[in-house]
Amino acid sequence: MQHLANLDPAVNAILGDYPGHDGHDELLSDNQQPRAHWQGVLDDIVQLGPDVLAARSEEAQNLLHENGVTFNPYEDDPGQLRSWQLDCVPWVIPTQEWDVLEAGLKQRSRLLEHILDDLYGARRIISEGLLPPELIYTHPGFLFSAADDPPQVERPLLIFHGTDIIRDSLGQWQVLADWTQSPGGAGYALENRITLARALPSLYRDAPIKRLAGFLQAQHRCLASLASTHREQPNIVLLSPGPGSPGYFEHAWLANYMNFSLVEGDDLVVRDGQVSMRTLGGLKQVDVILRQINDPWCDPLELRPDSLLGVPGLLQAARCGNVHIANALGAGILEHPGLLAFLPSLCRELLGEELLLPCRETLWCGDPAALAQVRAELDGWVLRDISKPGRLYRADQMGLEALRDLRISMERHPYLFTAQRHIAPAVAPGFNPQTKTFERQSATLRFFSLVEPDDLTKPVNERNYRVMPGGLAWVGEPGAPLMKSRLVKDVWVTAPVPQPHISLLRQALGPIVVTRDGKDLPCRVAESLFWMGRYGERLDIRGRLLREALARLLQDDRQESGSQLMPDLLRALDIAVDPEAFADESLPANSRFPREYIVTRDRLLQLFADDLPDGLPAIFAHFVRNSRAVRDHLGDDTWRAINSLRQHFNSMSRTRGVVVGQRHLEAMVLDLAAFFGLCNETMPHHYGWRFLDIGRFIERTLGSLELLKLALLDADEPGIPLWEVVLATTDNLTVYRRRYRSQLHPLAILDLLLFDETNPRSVGYMLKRLGRQIAKLPSPGSSPYRNLEQRLIIQATSCLHLVDIETLTDLEGSPAAREALSNLLDQLIEPMSELSNALSHSHFSHVEAPRQLVSMHYTGQP
Amino acid sequence: MRYLLRHTTHYQYSGAVTLSHNEARILPRVLPWQDCSNTQLVITPIPDRMRERIDFFGNRVVYFSIESLHESLDVTVTSEIVTHPRASADIFSSISWEQAAEELRHDPRQTNRDALDARLYVLDSPFIFQSPGLADYARSSFTPGRNLVDAVLELNQRIFSEFTYDPEFTTLATPLQDVLASKRGVCQDFAHLGIGCLRSLGLAARYVSGYMETLPPPGQQKLLGADATHAWLAVFVPGWGWLELDPTNGCVPDERYIILGWGRDFADVTPLKGVMTGGGDHSLSVAVDVLPQEEGAQGQVRDLV
Repeated sequence: MQHLANLDPAVNAILGDYPGHDGHDELLSDNQQPRAHWQGVLDDIVQLGPDVLAARSEEAQNLLHENGVTFNPYEDDPGQLRSWQLDCVPWVIPTQEWDVLEAGLKQRSRLLEHILDDLYGARRIISEGLLPPELIYTHPGFLFSAADDPPQVERPLLIFHGTDIIRDSLGQWQVLADWTQSPGGAGYALENRITLARALPSLYRDAPIKRLAGFLQAQHRCLASLASTHREQPNIVLLSPGPGSPGYFEHAWLANYMNFSLVEGDDLVVRDGQVSMRTLGGLKQVDVILRQINDPWCDPLELRPDSLLGVPGLLQAARCGNVHIANALGAGILEHPGLLAFLPSLCRELLGEELLLPCRETLWCGDPAALAQVRAELDGWVLRDISKPGRLYRADQMGLEALRDLRISMERHPYLFTAQRHIAPAVAPGFNPQTKTFERQSATLRFFSLVEPDDLTKPVNERNYRVMPGGLAWVGEPGAPLMKSRLVKDVWVTAPVPQPHISLLRQALGPIVVTRDGKDLPCRVAESLFWMGRYGERLDIRGRLLREALARLLQDDRQESGSQLMPDLLRALDIAVDPEAFADESLPANSRFPREYIVTRDRLLQLFADDLPDGLPAIFAHFVRNSRAVRDHLGDDTWRAINSLRQHFNSMSRTRGVVVGQRHLEAMVLDLAAFFGLCNETMPHHYGWRFLDIGRFIERTLGSLELLKLALLDADEPGIPLWEVVLATTDNLTVYRRRYRSQLHPLAILDLLLFDETNPRSVGYMLKRLGRQIAKLPSPGSSPYRNLEQRLIIQATSCLHLVDIETLTDLEGSPAAREALSNLLDQLIEPMSELSNALSHSHFSHVEAPRQLVSMHYTGQP
Repeated sequence: MRYLLRHTTHYQYSGAVTLSHNEARILPRVLPWQDCSNTQLVITPIPDRMRERIDFFGNRVVYFSIESLHESLDVTVTSEIVTHPRASADIFSSISWEQAAEELRHDPRQTNRDALDARLYVLDSPFIFQSPGLADYARSSFTPGRNLVDAVLELNQRIFSEFTYDPEFTTLATPLQDVLASKRGVCQDFAHLGIGCLRSLGLAARYVSGYMETLPPPGQQKLLGADATHAWLAVFVPGWGWLELDPTNGCVPDERYIILGWGRDFADVTPLKGVMTGGGDHSLSVAVDVLPQEEGAQGQVRDLV
């Protein structure tokens, strides 16, 4: 450990091996003293001490995890779950330095907007030879369809702009890349700030740092004033590729924070030149789209015909000014890495200014001189091929054959290649909770700018931008993508004086119109809520049954009383057991574990396996998929319950023992109860909640009916042990005992589980509840008659009410009684099965995938 | 020449279409050598929305949507067209094909607007990719130092004589390599092939879509609806302009050719494309008439309009 003179020993202790780096150091000056703007942070950290800091760091981690903050595209797959680590030490930028950076970022956004305006307008920069046509026209982000002549509506194209910047070892800022379609990360930046402020209040609350919330407020104002109709409540939607996309967490987060509807392509339709959202109450006009889908995929009519994410006719609606899209379609051309090489000259030409923020040294290989230079020193460059986005070529790390192919490709299509110089990054401190000391890191920073909301209607050369005073940093090699990073940091911009704490809840922007969720709920959301309810309940029913089965298995084992009950329980769980398996001599058997026990146990535990179609993890995957699709309708605590479930499921597939299995199921049943309880407590009891509730109770009704049928009619070994299981599964054993204090009797069970409308586990109660919920759903027409859903409920309820209970008294003795019960159960099951389809038909959107009139299969590069 | 043009596209769906968004590029361009008058576009059912605009390439595009249930779509354009001799008749250019390719190469000092504009047409496009195979095929006409126009005309002739017109062989998706290997295709394939050859040598070539007057067999009356849409190409001759070539017929287009529009390849000038919801299977029929407006044809013309 290298101790530094003149430093507090406590500081030295926490610095650990950090000091001693040659290049630019964010924390320490050349004479190895902490820089002035770090002093306050260091003091606070030393005061907390390494142990507390490590503990708080872990707490921040848990908060992030519970909130489901993740970039991970494979979140549905419990095995792949991974969220990032959040460093509790921020990247700190002092005021004076920020002023320079901010000016550079603002200029950059203005410059890019000018370029965009020209490329989709007069294209002067191409016709005057400032930008080579090969640079622009080969990039998939240049949309020929958006380059109409002349453009019909004057409007800003680049609303948001994200810039990736790195500090090099000389202390110079260098721009690495621009994000101009739907720059991601602003939501994460805010979430990181919130999380760290909760975990480290002493460090954050009074620190003189610039706050972020104001920027998102401005973003909201900007989007709202883009609406051409200038309605009081413009309808702004966030168009996401869906839960499968890597940035979905942020899409849901932003939609929630900004109070936008989170929609997917299927939710939108272009009719009468307007973009509308399909909702329970019909079509609702959309004014502004905050899109998170990349350019070529937005409209299968004019852009990529094979896109299933987009909205047919969207480009035409935007062209006519009937909807505003942020950022404008076609803005992706600015993400061309080769553009960096031309920015200094374009800046002089378009703005009459020198470019303030230098770019990473970049050569565009379409220029013969540049190509010659790159070829001569191939090892010194990182190469990108714009036809293969996201891929980096480093000659020094490539095999001979790959290198030869690369050289051939560069020879044939030099204009597709951009070469960027390696960068030696500066170091910054990070806290390692394991060693409890600082470690050296290099990080890429992303900053966000936004067109000034007041400048929207001004001509392009009068439009200005504002920059979020903070950002997102991630640790890794310069230029490593954010998505692949494991460690992220908050970015602080210090202010001269402590800043007032602004509530992150948005303040009313102008006069607020009180709204309530209602008929404008997208049909897809209603459908997902319905299925979330059904799968959640199915998980609960099967989990409880399995729990009982495992309990009986243990009892049987202990009492050696045989397992007469098991075949019926296995049947209830849809598990087929081949009787011959019991005779399989190859299985190890001993006095403690009879062969039958082992076979049965293994079959039961198989329900925990990931690959079984009706196993618990599979049902859970359906449940999570639907929950994620309605992420913006679930409260934070509700989401925490889902994450807790997910953690159980992460280890569930490895379950080998009965007791461990029971423990998983106990936890699952409780978490599910917490989840549904929170839904009931926090979701407004409006249409969305009703669909969830209906889904749950249809599933529960069917589950109970099947269970009764099995226990009272179809069982091999009917009788008290099985009835007990039924009562335990429905969590009614206690109620029964209190009520009857006697032997179990089938008629009493029937009363409790079928007829007693005060018992929430009885079919009678469930039907009543379903009837009430369905009556309150929006009905599309104004027909005076009952719709099919209502009729089905009435049909089931009548059967139940009209049954002559006398005919059922002697279930054990009389075949007639058994037949009467069998008829009754069937008469209940049938309409309830049909109800699900009827609801789906009336309320959920059945969007057929749009098809091409002429199928244009591009041959693709041979 | 004076023509009456009529082009009908008819789609019949097996099921009802609830919503369709479409783009038609079937209105002829007005050009120095081509006047269009009385152009009418009739769409059945009547579109709920219809908008015309000029696209990136200068072509006329009509967007239309049909938003109520329909089981067929009928798009008919009629236009009176007068064509004049093209400038190509008196073309004289002494430039060699290598010089032409050199003019089209990236050079920061290049400021000639026509050459800059033409460079778009050297690049790969959705249906056409440069390849060594295409360059090899072209090279026997493009001998070192040869005059560009001579070489281009010879290539045009070679495709005409070495390839067989075979509507059964190709689909929209037939890759150029297959066309080159089998030496079969239709006008669109031959145009794509010619473009691919020229681009593989570093020259600029674009796809032209339109019509051509066909003559009935001697002694017979011309049948209505017997004409077809046609496709050919144009090559950029630096300092002069775009020279059209029709490899399907081995000739240089003249007054008998009517131009709809041009682009990098077929994808940019698809006459009618659309995205629809519903509809099931569909069948397509196209009828084109390019009727010379001569005294004898007047009766027919009146019937048509």
